[in-house]
Amino acid sequence: MTIRRRLLVALLSVVTLHTTTAGAQTNAPQVKAVATFSILGDVVRQVGGDRVDVFTLAGPGEDAHVFTPSPSHARTVADAAVVFSNGLGFEGWMTRLIRSSGYKGLHTVVSQGVEAMKENRKHGHGHSHGHHDPHAWQNPKNVMLYVGNITKGLCEVDAQGCDSYQANARAYTERLRELDREVHAAWNGVAAGRRKVITSHDAFAYYGQAYGVQFLSPQGVSTEAEASARGVARLIRQIKAENIRALFVENISDPRLIEQIARETGIQSSGVLFSDSLSDERGPAATYIDMVRHNTAALIDAIASQ
Amino acid sequence: MVHPIHLDNLTLGYERHPAVHHLSLTLAPGSLVGVVGPNGSGKSTLLKALARLLQPMQGQVHGLTGQRIAYLPQHSEIDRGFPIRVADLVAMGLWHEVGALGGLTRGQRRRCEDALQTVGLGEFGHRTLDTLSGGQFQRALFARLLLQDADLVLLDEPFAAVDTRTTQDLLAILSQWHRAGKTVLVVLHDLPQVMTHCPEALLLARSAVAFGSTHDVLTPVNLQRARRMTEAWDESAPVCQDAMAFPESPAPVSHREVMP
Amino acid sequence: MNGTAMALPPSIWLHWLGLAPFAEFGFMQRALLGCLALSVSASPIGVFLMLRRMSLTGDAMAHGILPGAAVGYLLSGLSVGAMTLGGLMAGLVVAIGSGLVARSTVMREDTSLAAFYLISLAIGVLIVSWRGSNVDLLHVLFGTVLALNNDALWLMVGVASITLLGLAVLYRPLVLECLDPVFLRSVSCWSPVAHYGFLVLLVLNLVAGFHALGTLMAVGFLVLPAAAARFWVREITALLVLSSLFALLASVAGLLLSFHADLPTGPAIVLSLGALYLGSMFVGRQGLLCQRPSLQPHLKA
Repeated sequence: MTIRRRLLVALLSVVTLHTTTAGAQTNAPQVKAVATFSILGDVVRQVGGDRVDVFTLAGPGEDAHVFTPSPSHARTVADAAVVFSNGLGFEGWMTRLIRSSGYKGLHTVVSQGVEAMKENRKHGHGHSHGHHDPHAWQNPKNVMLYVGNITKGLCEVDAQGCDSYQANARAYTERLRELDREVHAAWNGVAAGRRKVITSHDAFAYYGQAYGVQFLSPQGVSTEAEASARGVARLIRQIKAENIRALFVENISDPRLIEQIARETGIQSSGVLFSDSLSDERGPAATYIDMVRHNTAALIDAIASQ
Repeated sequence: MVHPIHLDNLTLGYERHPAVHHLSLTLAPGSLVGVVGPNGSGKSTLLKALARLLQPMQGQVHGLTGQRIAYLPQHSEIDRGFPIRVADLVAMGLWHEVGALGGLTRGQRRRCEDALQTVGLGEFGHRTLDTLSGGQFQRALFARLLLQDADLVLLDEPFAAVDTRTTQDLLAILSQWHRAGKTVLVVLHDLPQVMTHCPEALLLARSAVAFGSTHDVLTPVNLQRARRMTEAWDESAPVCQDAMAFPESPAPVSHREVMP
Repeated sequence: MNGTAMALPPSIWLHWLGLAPFAEFGFMQRALLGCLALSVSASPIGVFLMLRRMSLTGDAMAHGILPGAAVGYLLSGLSVGAMTLGGLMAGLVVAIGSGLVARSTVMREDTSLAAFYLISLAIGVLIVSWRGSNVDLLHVLFGTVLALNNDALWLMVGVASITLLGLAVLYRPLVLECLDPVFLRSVSCWSPVAHYGFLVLLVLNLVAGFHALGTLMAVGFLVLPAAAARFWVREITALLVLSSLFALLASVAGLLLSFHADLPTGPAIVLSLGALYLGSMFVGRQGLLCQRPSLQPHLKA
């Protein structure tokens, strides 16, 4: 063959190869899923893989406690095949959003089966959410349960992709187990009596329970509630008495109250913790696993440096 | 220095309807003029314009600059429930001396008390406004007018809803002002009152029916002419041509004719 | 203002009066200082507001500042300073715009203000929705009395100083403007100065109050102390002084209540004001009980 014909054949082969490969690739997303907040969105994405297009309502940096849905959110929910929410009273606005969007599809509450903790009543008074602490995701073991519920939900709306979902779920659960071991190991290096931290609101009770860390805060489990002078005073007294030096602001709350406490007790803020929301892609907590790693490292650094 | 006041082809009104139509006259300094006329004849509107609270549709008023003007409107917009003492209300009459920021000297305070005494409210200084009757309130306003010591005093129906005794006392103050050389215009509906207390009168029925000495003005013929003035504005009246006949007047607002 | 430096040595008198928390905690002292600033600043303004029948303005203004806060957010993210500044501009536009309309047209002040704040709020919601973010801006913007940092305290003290100065200068024209606006216009040019000056002071107090202490407290101090004082005195200077005193009293009571009974602080203070108001309504000299003639012997004629 002449050189020109050889080149032509090569070119044709390459083109054919590309088109067939493109055609044989995993399909474009089949399932539209909606997750109520960024952390949940990340987990759904991990399980869903390429088959699922995940839309998050309360995005990175937004506070789902006081989130107000807009009409475009209602439209998104209406178009979804499956909706995932945390439950445990976290999304007080969810029922109304579902009703107003006219959504009749599957709504999976991912915290089903989780052993819920009671809201810590000592620090603030109740509000409309109910009496459970919703921040179950702070314990990776609970997220493993989340994964199970998500897989079930996805399989129900898309039986075809169920194999791929289950495979993804297994892989991710394994990573979560490893994360859990990692965090335990990290905390083993810190004496039990020193594991005390101050944060803006009671977001880390589940993490604290899992790894033996005590979290203290002036605000209750919701950023919507207001602190009382007694709560703040008690916290300050405790900080002074037990010489706690690890104090963190959160990415979603107004830091002024925690800064006031820092000022009064002479502590410097040790940094930012991600409690109810991920950071954006460039930040240190772009995924759930990154978030837990970041939080753990920050906490331990702060305590260790005392 | 009290100047004569010239009304030069004055037209005043609302929404193109003239309440006062091409009024021209001269008020000599120190005159005490009773302004009379049927309802809707433009008396209150005229006083408002002289108090510089209303812009003319056409024509001008000369001689007002530099004069201190005191104006008592017919329906007082004063908030009678406002928590202030009579003495403080009356003391506002000294604004031209004290301004927004100054305090009252002992002399000025005494003058306030004297003013209250003159109107028969000597012991009322400490009372709050809401405890005054209609007559007492009107007296208090007169006390304030006294302190204003204005060159031109404009009173719009000052004795409506006021008892006879108060009316007599306040009419005496009017005479006092006249003797002191102030120019006083007072709108009254009681013709005998005008005949007794006002040396001059203006019979107004949108335009001047008569102006001059009271006895010459308040004749039966004139009063008849004034009564023929219709109260309502004519919605279909054509645009007044005279408005265009005086181009040198400042931008005349085109207004409607006044039908007899 | 370092917390430890401000802690006074515990005094037996303070303990006896129940005021020990103020001695022990810096944040309680700052809260009290913030309340003091608000008492001398917002309460007198509230008296004039009440006399001008504009008491509902505060709540309306809390919504009317949204477009300013939204623009501040667009330009500088979640910076409370930028949003407060934006809110201040929006508030001034709303207040002065409505004042202008009220002065030059048939529209009365209360409707004018309502119209402006509604338009402003709608624009604010539009801006927020257009950019897609669902951060509750106003929730972030409003502070709390327990979290007064230095900036917020200086802001409150600064606004209080400007207000006291402004009221001292504008006192007589403002009283006349409420009492007899026609007279004021006939004797001086102070009418617009008093009117707009008052509106500016109002917006300053509201926005600074929102920023430092939240809506509930900012509006509460505007309305309740003046209303309570009205049941006791009938003269304006007395009203101005008594409303500030009432506000301060309720602040101390509310802070102590929040401290000892573990109640959220803002509501505790406003409830103390409310209790003062209700109590005054019954037992005040102008109150319900004292209006019964049998209780007061009358004088001879």
